[in-house]
Amino acid sequence: MSIRSGADLKGQVRLLCDAVVVGTGAGGSIAARELARAGAKVIAVEEGALSTSADFNQREEQMLPLLFQDRGGRTTDDLAIRVLQGRGIGGSTVHNTNLCKRTPDAILELWHERYRVTGMRPSELAPAFERIERDLSVSEIPLAMRNRNNDILRIGTEALGWRGGQLKHNRVGCQGSGFCELGCVYNAKQNALKVVIPEAVLAGADVIADVRAVKILHDSSRVLGLYGEAIDREGRVVAEVTIDAPVVVLSASAVGSAALARASRIPDRYDLIGRRLRMHPGSVVAGRFKDEVCGDKGIPQSYECTEHLSFEEGSDKRVWITTAFAHPIGTASVLPGFGAKHMSMMRSYRHFSVLTAMLHDESMGEVYLAPDGRPALRYQMSRSDCLQLQKGLRACAELLFAAGAEEVVIPATPRVVVKSRRDLDSIDWSFGKPHSVPLTAVHPMGTMPLGDDPRSSVVNSRGEHHQVRGLFVADGSLFPTSIGGPPQISIYSFAQHLSPHIVERLRH
Amino acid sequence: MPLAMSRVSRRTVLRGLGVGLLALGGVATFIRTSGYDLPAHRRGKLRVLDAAQFTILTAIASCVCAADGSDAPSIEETDVVGFVDTFAVSMPGRMRRDLLLFLGVIEHVAPLFAKHATRFTLLPKASQDDVLSALEVHDNGLLRGGFAGLKALLFMGYYRDPKTWSLLNYDGPTIGRAVTP
Repeated sequence: MSIRSGADLKGQVRLLCDAVVVGTGAGGSIAARELARAGAKVIAVEEGALSTSADFNQREEQMLPLLFQDRGGRTTDDLAIRVLQGRGIGGSTVHNTNLCKRTPDAILELWHERYRVTGMRPSELAPAFERIERDLSVSEIPLAMRNRNNDILRIGTEALGWRGGQLKHNRVGCQGSGFCELGCVYNAKQNALKVVIPEAVLAGADVIADVRAVKILHDSSRVLGLYGEAIDREGRVVAEVTIDAPVVVLSASAVGSAALARASRIPDRYDLIGRRLRMHPGSVVAGRFKDEVCGDKGIPQSYECTEHLSFEEGSDKRVWITTAFAHPIGTASVLPGFGAKHMSMMRSYRHFSVLTAMLHDESMGEVYLAPDGRPALRYQMSRSDCLQLQKGLRACAELLFAAGAEEVVIPATPRVVVKSRRDLDSIDWSFGKPHSVPLTAVHPMGTMPLGDDPRSSVVNSRGEHHQVRGLFVADGSLFPTSIGGPPQISIYSFAQHLSPHIVERLRH
Repeated sequence: MPLAMSRVSRRTVLRGLGVGLLALGGVATFIRTSGYDLPAHRRGKLRVLDAAQFTILTAIASCVCAADGSDAPSIEETDVVGFVDTFAVSMPGRMRRDLLLFLGVIEHVAPLFAKHATRFTLLPKASQDDVLSALEVHDNGLLRGGFAGLKALLFMGYYRDPKTWSLLNYDGPTIGRAVTP
């Protein structure tokens, strides 16, 4: 793969192209590929580095800083929610667990009716979904590859008579090592890094890693290009990069794209940019089993429980449950307490089954610029979302007991240990709130939503800014609401669906 | 004359008060910030932490990563604090500043949460545990979140070491060996 590094640039660099794509994750890779295939001269810039399977080593302390924003330490500004976001060529598709779910039909219909999103109803998006699923070799995860942690979730779900099922993924040649979240050393992930970016390069796209976008150049009515800084591995600026282009595609995530738009003072008459941040915050519950579970081995997530998830507006069921096992460092940081008691719990590592309750959230946060110019996140969970979280934690505990757990540990502070399913009724679940339980969010979205009403959306249904001609968005920022599940297929497909509009802009 | 005397007297009193407060503050600062010595093998080797921060972090790590049995390696064997010092080099500037500031909070402010007037590093181990326990459940979300973040960093330093993996029956990376389901 021929990808340049900004670290090799020096002084002031001026480039000219038809379209600049900012970010190379699910959205950016597709936009770059489709524009290049249409004959456009495309430059895609990426703040992070190019790391391939040869660079991955399955060591948490080395891969977290390499593959995640803020070296894996990104949080909301009140430190209540850890936010895991990818950084580097391929973006979050490098570290995600490859779950492939389409945007639910009910969500697309809601966007059409409530948010005036046109051309993106289920039947209209179906071709893009099918195309992406084919490109990424999406298939149902083979039953033979379901590890015990996921089988425990299945057993619990079936024992309770709840709704659940096997998940789909985009892996080919998976070895079941269980290190997906640290990058795949076996190169089995059919993601932006392995599949789409090479196709973009083959079609002629110029992909430059280690270039941090600083400002979108514009005159308030049209885009003029992008100004960025080339950085070395230590983050030092080695060159200033100016790219003249009539089209800029923002694909730097719901955090990065909104922060860049704000830093660039993109016109925002209704004060919407960065404002409707959703994140799918979630927390975990661990069940201790008599026999070893070995949740760290095999495909991490292959089964889901959807009993408590409905996509109807105002639904009282907004919890998606799946498995969430981590390697030792991740596990240690989530378990409550410290010292000898903490270590005693860690000794049960191989006997734990861990489930997560992830919220299809209604709360709305904000991406803003910190004094140092870096993106910062403000997010307060609403009372309604806290209640959903409490329901989700309880549901996870019920599933674990139904599958045979000897005890259930809820990593609240102070920790909650439950010995039987009966005891769940006597628990005051009000501890289920930020700062009392460890919360993690992996799907920021909604900060530059699409729709045809400029009063409630930043870009139109073609993905172009309502006022600034040539400024497009192609990432999770587009979602007017939470989508209640893994977003990668949605982001890839939306970029696929919107790309013809970007090509059309270049021609007119 | 009485007027002049009265004016001089007021100035003198104010000046005296000012100087006295400054001196008192200086003595208090000296007492609270002195006495941090680096082990010989660390001198000139640290990249981010200074002597005080290294001492404070070592005391915190001794509590957070305390062993529950003799088979568990110590924080010295796993070089937990050395790892954090190196890790902090490439942290975003804002995060690094917050980390170092938080060490100061634990040393000088957090003991008050557990009703101790002495700085953290001078407390006996059991009292240090009390201070950290109070911090972990403190009403202030930033303090709780800050401690959770610090704990995560220390656990990263500890459990990154393969010597700790046998405690968990964890096999480690699969690179270079057959993957066993």
